[in-house]
Amino acid sequence: MKAANNQTTRRLLMLALSGALMSGCVTSRIENIRENTTGITEGEGIVIMAKSYHLGNETEAKFISCVGNSVGRGSKGLHVIPNTEFVDALFPWFEPRTAPAEAKGLPTLMSRPGVAQKIKDKGVRYVVWLDGETEKVAGGGSMSCAAGPGGGGCFGFAWWQNDSNYEASVWDLDGLENAGTVSADVSGTSYLPAIVVPIPLLARTQNKACNALADQLRLFIISDEQV
Amino acid sequence: MHQSRKIVPALLTAMLVASCGGANVTVNDPSIPKPLIVPLPLNVAAKYPDVFDHFVHEEKVMGKKKWSIDLGRSNRLLFTQLFDSMFTEFNVVATDEYPKDLMFDALIEPSIDAFEFSVPSQSQTDEFAVWIRYRIKIFDNEGVQIANWPIAAYGKSLAGSVGGDHALQRAAILAMRDAAALIILQMDKATGISKLSEAHVNRDMPSSETEDIPLQTTAAEETPDESS
Repeated sequence: MKAANNQTTRRLLMLALSGALMSGCVTSRIENIRENTTGITEGEGIVIMAKSYHLGNETEAKFISCVGNSVGRGSKGLHVIPNTEFVDALFPWFEPRTAPAEAKGLPTLMSRPGVAQKIKDKGVRYVVWLDGETEKVAGGGSMSCAAGPGGGGCFGFAWWQNDSNYEASVWDLDGLENAGTVSADVSGTSYLPAIVVPIPLLARTQNKACNALADQLRLFIISDEQV
Repeated sequence: MHQSRKIVPALLTAMLVASCGGANVTVNDPSIPKPLIVPLPLNVAAKYPDVFDHFVHEEKVMGKKKWSIDLGRSNRLLFTQLFDSMFTEFNVVATDEYPKDLMFDALIEPSIDAFEFSVPSQSQTDEFAVWIRYRIKIFDNEGVQIANWPIAAYGKSLAGSVGGDHALQRAAILAMRDAAALIILQMDKATGISKLSEAHVNRDMPSSETEDIPLQTTAAEETPDESS
């Protein structure tokens, strides 16, 4: 019985150790700047959008859906209205070319015929504009692979550093003002050593930035903290 | 075992060819949502060029395969959907119909000046981009051209997980949607089309009450304000 317990413990330790080894090192910094008080009530929701590519924004679609899913998850999750549904309902006022670039454009937008009513019907209280991207900032090492009739393999070592830098601006459609910004800066180095078989030790910076930004964004919106 | 040795190189070759790019992409219906706007009180007719029924653009990327994008009737559908929402009365007329035989305030003749796209291997990014340059000519009910407005539309889509064909198709649809948004936002400002309604009202008035209404004739080549 005791031997069986020891074996299980050893297996769990090995699993934890390999889990730790399989991921690279990641450092992250999450910040928020509050400009106005926030809060959300039952029946109100948020929309998560990418800043316009007409303004040079390169935010990845998968990052936007990741933040949307994370913000809406769990018992304290916010109601997230799909951005395509919102943009289509308000066509053409939230297109990359026509969406207001700053919160001070909100009063003009809301004064357009039907816009305020459509936003109310959709139950959207906040629009969150995501800006930023994940970039490979450095890399090195070398690796060579070969294959023959008897098999194949790789030998060498490669590494690369990714930097995921994102900022979320929160616009309050009720107060027609900028509520503040939440930012996430995550950097990490991935390694790929190979002795016959390559073993990737990946630093998932984008995934980490998504979860961290989503958690902070949720707290930022539901908080009744004063400015 | 012997068979699998043949299959593996064949699969590798297929993957290599696929990674070189090249595809035929079709856009059947850009399907813009119903715009949230108040239509202008105008009776408008539109005449489309034949190319609006079958527009195909082909491009051979250096050292790669040929890309072809077939917009089919999507331009006709786009402008019909758009103008139908922008004006209180809208009809499409045949290319051989003479404007003076028809009752309308304005006749619009859209056309495509240029179509371009870029694929990731050209731009060294993960993006497919499409540029469409449309030209919109507007005539009054006397057949006099009052505007000649070029507009440049742009759409971009990341190749990412959706695959090249779908990304290029998406970029083309976004460019058409961008054109629609630009037309809604700036058409009246750039062409003065709404003044044709006033001209129509004044024409029906007794001559003593009629004033000369300055119709825009030179807004024409104005470059659209893309910062708005």
